[in-house]
Amino acid sequence: MNSRRNFLKQASAAALAGSAISPLLSWAASQNSTIDIPGENGLIVRSSRFLDLETPVEYFNTWLTPVPHFFVRNHMHEPSELDAATWRLTVGGEVEKPFTLTLAELSKLETHSVVNTLECAGNGRSLHRPQVPGIQWGKGAVGTARFSGARLRDVLQRAGIKPAGKHVMFRGLDDIPGKVPAFIRSVPLEKALDADTLIATHMNGAPLTKNHGFPARALVPGWIGAASCKWLTEIKVLDAEFVGNFMSPGYRFPNQPGKPGEAVKPEDTHPVTGLSVKSVISGPLDGARVAHGRVAVHGTAWAGEADVVKVEVSTDGGTNWNAATLGHDRARYAWRLWTYDWKAKAGDYSILARATDSQGRTQPSTPVWNPSGYLYNAPDQVKIHVA
Amino acid sequence: MSHKNRSSRWQRPAASGIAVLLPLALVAALSFTAPAQQQAAKMTEDLPPGAMQAKATTACTECHEARIVLQQRLSKATWTKEVDKMIKWGAVVDAADHDALIDYLSTNFSPDQPAYEPPRTSTGTSSGSSSGTSAEKPSGKKTSK
Repeated sequence: MNSRRNFLKQASAAALAGSAISPLLSWAASQNSTIDIPGENGLIVRSSRFLDLETPVEYFNTWLTPVPHFFVRNHMHEPSELDAATWRLTVGGEVEKPFTLTLAELSKLETHSVVNTLECAGNGRSLHRPQVPGIQWGKGAVGTARFSGARLRDVLQRAGIKPAGKHVMFRGLDDIPGKVPAFIRSVPLEKALDADTLIATHMNGAPLTKNHGFPARALVPGWIGAASCKWLTEIKVLDAEFVGNFMSPGYRFPNQPGKPGEAVKPEDTHPVTGLSVKSVISGPLDGARVAHGRVAVHGTAWAGEADVVKVEVSTDGGTNWNAATLGHDRARYAWRLWTYDWKAKAGDYSILARATDSQGRTQPSTPVWNPSGYLYNAPDQVKIHVA
Repeated sequence: MSHKNRSSRWQRPAASGIAVLLPLALVAALSFTAPAQQQAAKMTEDLPPGAMQAKATTACTECHEARIVLQQRLSKATWTKEVDKMIKWGAVVDAADHDALIDYLSTNFSPDQPAYEPPRTSTGTSSGSSSGTSAEKPSGKKTSK
């Protein structure tokens, strides 16, 4: 089975037609090429070392994303040694009784499951103009899975949080290259103590795979993926937000939208936490040719800690909007599938989707540009031909 | 080169809840012809030819593969910031090569270049791979008990 990325190639080839073929293109283009990465099925390879894999939108037709289709985002190299028998999780910092857990001990704690839509803060980065540095994610650095494991609060309460404790830091076992700062971040205590914040050991009912953080990861529901530290080995209660590259300047968003391309002062930013309201069209795909008649425009929509209340579809480039039907599968932090039954006549169309959430947020017609390209959430758009 | 109508037959993953919402028209709309074959891509890419290729390869790919560079489309000012950040993070760049490296990157990977076309991970059914990469073989298996 092959995918339909050919349509995208077709589109980019068309865009190039008439211009001189760049030497770069002839050297870089890799039509239909694939790499074998065990356990990772049909994903777009943004980088093989370290591993960054994106889910093609055509896989967004199931409420739960199968693990082999689930995007992978690593900031560094995966741990070279991971052994369930010797793995330890230490809990310390501003606590009365620091302690260490083995995987067997962690597994004995009460298990809780959360269906969560996990999205990389940089999903959609490649769509920002001007372009910004970073992994050039398209639309698919997002997925939904059932995560299971102990509640973080059960572990923290066993340690006894001191009054000074205000933030909870996670450290993973990532192999750190060069002099790169360690991937350490923190979340406020209130979020850490939420009944749905987990030390997850399972994903869709199976033990976490290595690429998803085996043997345990934080799972901070509704928040950017970077909050959910993989290969978790240390939990530390702090009296303030962790100070480090991946809290600042990393993962910060301008307090006020600025002009695209303009620098933003660090003091005019805040940490990125919850996800934005967003939707993606999973079909028809961009560049598709379909027969006239009934065409189901379908996709998925999510809103972090809020609920999706409405998805609208435009088949005329954004002039008129029609209500889509939301799928019945739902959970507090999970996306909703949706479909719009369209009676299509022959012609060329620009189809858009936009979602609105329970906080009254609607996808903005213009994306909020920011220097790191976080939280892109303009309405999704595909161009198709109806024959 | 023409890729017109070069689409593929694509099997939708088993749908859960939404399945009842999807009319048959969708299935018709998703039917295509002409399967395309998969070809093996290199696990890690190379940086483009040029006087700075070797030095850039040393500086960048010690920590990460070339695709992370290949996919960027940045102005010279932004490339300068990136190079200086990476030097701070351990990239080995002689002071004498600093400006030439920025020129090399900003010439090859400027905003007006076409987007990089990434490969995909194989689907395990048509790649001809004997490693049997599939959904049933989680990569963490060897380390789990």
